[in-house]
Amino acid sequence: MFDVNKSMQTVQMNLIPNDVSVRAETPLHHVDLATIATQGAQDRNIKIQELALLDHLVLRGHADNAALTTGIQSVMGVSLPINLQSVEKEGQVIRWISPDEWLITTPHGTGFALEQQLRNAISTHCAVVNVSGGQTVITVEGAGTEEMLRKCTPYDIHISNMPVGKVVTSLFGKAQAVIRRTGEQQFEVVIRRSFSDYCWLWLQDSCREFGFTVKL
Amino acid sequence: MTQKNRLASGGRIDHQRPLNFTYNGKALTGFHGDTVASALLANGVDIVGRSFKYSRPRGIMAAGAEEPNALLQLGATEATQTPNVRATQQDLFEGLVASSTNGWPSPENDAMGFVGKVGARFMPPGFYYKTFMFPQSMWGTYEKFIRKAAGFGRSSLESDVDVYDNINQHADVLIVGAGPAGLSAALAAAKSGARIILADEQSEMGGSLLDSPALIDGQPADEWAVSAIEELSSFDNVMLLSRSTVNGYHDHNFLTIHERCTDHVSDCAVNGQIRQRMHRVRAKWVVLATGSHERPLVFGNNDIPGVMLASAVSTYIRRYAVAPGNKLVLMTTNDNAYQAAFDWADAGHEVVAIVDTRANPSGACVEAAKSRGLKVIIGSAVIEAKGDKRVNGVLIAGIDEVGEKVTGSVEPYDCDILASSGGWSPAIHLSCHTGSRPVWSDEVIGFVPGETVQKQLSAGAINGSFSLESCLKEGTEQGLIAIRNAGFDIEDRSAPKTAPVNEDRAMALFHIPHTKSTSRGPKQFVDFQNDVTASAIELATREGFESIEHVKRYTAMGFGTDQGKTGNINGMAIAAKSLNKSIPETGTTIFRPNYTPVTFGAITGRNVGELFDPERYTAIHRWHVEQGALFEDVGQWKRPWYYPKAGESIQDTLNRECTATRESVGILDASTLGKIDIQGKDAREFLGRVYTNAWAKLAIGKCRYGLMCGEDGMVFDDGVTACLGENHFLMTTTTGGAARVLSWLEIYHQTEWPEMEVYFNSVTDHWSTATISGPNARKVLAKLTDDIELDAESFKFMDWHTGTVAGVPARVFRISFTGELSYEINVSANYGLAVWEKIMEAGSEFNITPYGTESMHVLRAEKGFIIVGQDTDGSVHPHDINHGWAVVDSKPFSFIGKRGMKRADCVRPNRKQLVGLKTKVPDAVIPEGAQAVNDFEQPVPMDMLGHVTSSYYSANLGRSIAMGMIKSGLSRIGETVYYPLADGRVIEAEICSPVFYDPKGERQRV
Repeated sequence: MFDVNKSMQTVQMNLIPNDVSVRAETPLHHVDLATIATQGAQDRNIKIQELALLDHLVLRGHADNAALTTGIQSVMGVSLPINLQSVEKEGQVIRWISPDEWLITTPHGTGFALEQQLRNAISTHCAVVNVSGGQTVITVEGAGTEEMLRKCTPYDIHISNMPVGKVVTSLFGKAQAVIRRTGEQQFEVVIRRSFSDYCWLWLQDSCREFGFTVKL
Repeated sequence: MTQKNRLASGGRIDHQRPLNFTYNGKALTGFHGDTVASALLANGVDIVGRSFKYSRPRGIMAAGAEEPNALLQLGATEATQTPNVRATQQDLFEGLVASSTNGWPSPENDAMGFVGKVGARFMPPGFYYKTFMFPQSMWGTYEKFIRKAAGFGRSSLESDVDVYDNINQHADVLIVGAGPAGLSAALAAAKSGARIILADEQSEMGGSLLDSPALIDGQPADEWAVSAIEELSSFDNVMLLSRSTVNGYHDHNFLTIHERCTDHVSDCAVNGQIRQRMHRVRAKWVVLATGSHERPLVFGNNDIPGVMLASAVSTYIRRYAVAPGNKLVLMTTNDNAYQAAFDWADAGHEVVAIVDTRANPSGACVEAAKSRGLKVIIGSAVIEAKGDKRVNGVLIAGIDEVGEKVTGSVEPYDCDILASSGGWSPAIHLSCHTGSRPVWSDEVIGFVPGETVQKQLSAGAINGSFSLESCLKEGTEQGLIAIRNAGFDIEDRSAPKTAPVNEDRAMALFHIPHTKSTSRGPKQFVDFQNDVTASAIELATREGFESIEHVKRYTAMGFGTDQGKTGNINGMAIAAKSLNKSIPETGTTIFRPNYTPVTFGAITGRNVGELFDPERYTAIHRWHVEQGALFEDVGQWKRPWYYPKAGESIQDTLNRECTATRESVGILDASTLGKIDIQGKDAREFLGRVYTNAWAKLAIGKCRYGLMCGEDGMVFDDGVTACLGENHFLMTTTTGGAARVLSWLEIYHQTEWPEMEVYFNSVTDHWSTATISGPNARKVLAKLTDDIELDAESFKFMDWHTGTVAGVPARVFRISFTGELSYEINVSANYGLAVWEKIMEAGSEFNITPYGTESMHVLRAEKGFIIVGQDTDGSVHPHDINHGWAVVDSKPFSFIGKRGMKRADCVRPNRKQLVGLKTKVPDAVIPEGAQAVNDFEQPVPMDMLGHVTSSYYSANLGRSIAMGMIKSGLSRIGETVYYPLADGRVIEAEICSPVFYDPKGERQRV
């Protein structure tokens, strides 16, 4: 559960209980997506799904430091994306956030091992921080998704400016989100826990003229 | 009333689809395709309002955005009231309810009308300022009267029932206006595949083409426009927005478009629909094809209903099949306006005369008029209109070649409609919004866009290129340039063809001379909406207002919703003449956003109600709600304030929560505190530089309180930071200061000390924090963990440990903001509520009591712990609040604020210092903010010593407690000060230590 990285002198903790009976609540728990999923016709244009309880890690480091990039390559089998790009492999996604910052999502329960591997593999100044409890991922897809999202963010999300795979941290209503295009009419939005209620209300409201349905 | 002015056929209205509406309570009928203005004119409604200052009757003058008079109040219900709607821009729909906004009790019989006529001479510019300002005590009375008399509508007293929204758009090219120039530009650019937005304010795109007799590419102009729009709509990359006014052109090619989605259909949008939408457009290039506004001429009584713009007469006939009168006199300075007389004659009505101010006009239209047998009076002008509530005649006289003097005899003519045209003013409003100064063109007789300051082009009449041929040509050219500038390849395209028209030169004439001087003659209006006359402008210049900007402010010319669309050029010309200067020397006023009025709804969009501002919730929020907690806003967070039980007053609740915590155990949701994870080999050194105290020796497993100052040495934030590993720390901040502190650390790292190897990450949302506090806290925790040693030796005050709490991995910090034995239990927020519920279960045998921020404030005040932002206010440094113990000057590197707090003013004697305050009457609670004095009988102004920062009733102590600033307070312990209150009471208090409870701090260390 608890590990001190000898070379870095930093501390990691596995925050997921061994006892599987302990109830976990995602940031959108109170929205009750399960009930919303039962409402409305399934042919609604926009489909929304929460990728609940993924493990989220923030990586900080110098993108031009070979020790960082080779470390990532060796652990995750992909090269570290730069400049608003993302990479995805076997359920793990790395999103560029800022010139020295990335968000990594990985399936529930795999984050602690990945965190340890990264720290062991990266032999240079960096930080790896578990933020799994603090945010969640929502996917939105279907006809009208891009137009709907134009009500949420001032960033130019047209496919000519934001092709599949591009990721941007921008406004979402008055809150913040990490927005990534995953298909022509398919996006993924990472929102912070404390803003999740607001972001959900905003998203739901923006979808109103298109109709939406929740996928579980 | 029948539609007495409606023509039997023609126009772009549907004669088979009548629409019922009411105007000032009267039931009227119009047709589908009408505007409210065309329907009112069809019904013979002459008066649509009373003027702003003189209360003169006013009628519809124009057919578009430039209409100054017909501002209506719309709305069938209280909730749907909309003020300031231009009748010329509002489509008619079934059941529309409109009323005039000016005129009391009605526009036909107005109480102020008498003043307007008789008192006119006594209402010069500045009249209201000069007359109603004194005595000042009467202003409230004057204001009510003036406002009611002035009118211009009112907003609803109820909540707006409609939904509005905002949408962000990004365009390669935004084309403003879908007249001949705008359509040609869009057609030229469309095939590039670039993202193009074409926005037009009218319900139907086409602009002047919709009422033009010309042929384009062999097609009638209106049909050509329809097919052009059809062609454009087949392009996926072209967004066509009609009923969409580009109302503001802001910095960085950011423009706002106000789209009226349902205003043409119904009083309020049907459920689920958006009434109006604001498009927030970022465009790479902008093509302004905004056209021009016809200028009325300024002459005697030129505001009588029935005096209209020449082009408006054409538009009403050709587009709406309305001929608003029977006998027309047309006065013009140019060829273009002749069309109005031709249309009038074609509609089967009498043209009394065309009065051309030019001495010897020779254009094709003059010949056409003659060959039609129309009477053309040259070298003459209408010097005065006659009539009261409707024009019934005109006085026509010969004028000299420059239009400065009446030369001939004055002849009366009967007529019931008078059209005038002083030429066209390019609609440069949007260009001016950017800060681009317009330039005067003698050839255009108007201002055209000057040097641009943004990625902006313009085409057509906005450039003074008034002919249809030049509009089509410039539109095509500028469309191609814009699209290439935006980075797209496109083939050349030739402009649509139309036959050139042989036009004679227009005369630069603005103000028609009269036989009497301007001040003695009948009123000659320049700005109809603000009731500014030619004599008022002349008076303003005589009174010394030489700058046009001053003239504008003195006379109100160009103010308000009108923004000088019809009046500005005439007004400048009159001011220039009066000052003996040229128009360009006089300058121009700058038009400001918005071009036409915008509803607040469209500006606000969805940022209303629950979407007004984000509310941030912790993982435990639902539990607080279920427990009946009331909430306090802390930044955007909703924190439980207190948890009242049935029948409790707030003080009862606080007493219960505070006592339970001191006697057994309380629980607080501390998840909102800012948490910053700090990693890197220089983390420790960095802490030493941003905090005032020392961090070099903080051992792994230990926590320490830290105080943060700005460069000025003033307290900025505080919190506890824990050493997790040699290179790993967890900093906590105040709830409201979290984002600011993170930015602060990043700024210092990125700009001052980039060489330091350290990273900061917010983990505020990641951790859920339950703080249990009180003598039984250890017993509660013991029930929930079997892998954390809790005895006082193993787990000391200011230690942290890792373990499992309620089955969940946790970090537990033994720190205390209450002065009691306290544990802050941190778990991943995904398990926050599950763990909280387990703690409540385990604590039930100890009557574990949830407490909110209010009890937290009382408990910490009992201990004299400060709250940054409450007990500090940006003007106090650590020594002021007796926190000198947290300032370590001996650190090898400096720290932020070290020099600041040593400035002369910071070390002077007699600074205000934070102390405790004990009232002489134990249960008297001094209001926070109250000012201390030494002598409450001193006459005002009294010498003030400082204010109370925190003040509560403490149930644990059975008395009030307070903290406050007192000049030299730390050296005055034991002395008495007085708090005189607004209600006349004086509270006497003794200066004391702020630590009221457990001064040795034994309870938190047990």
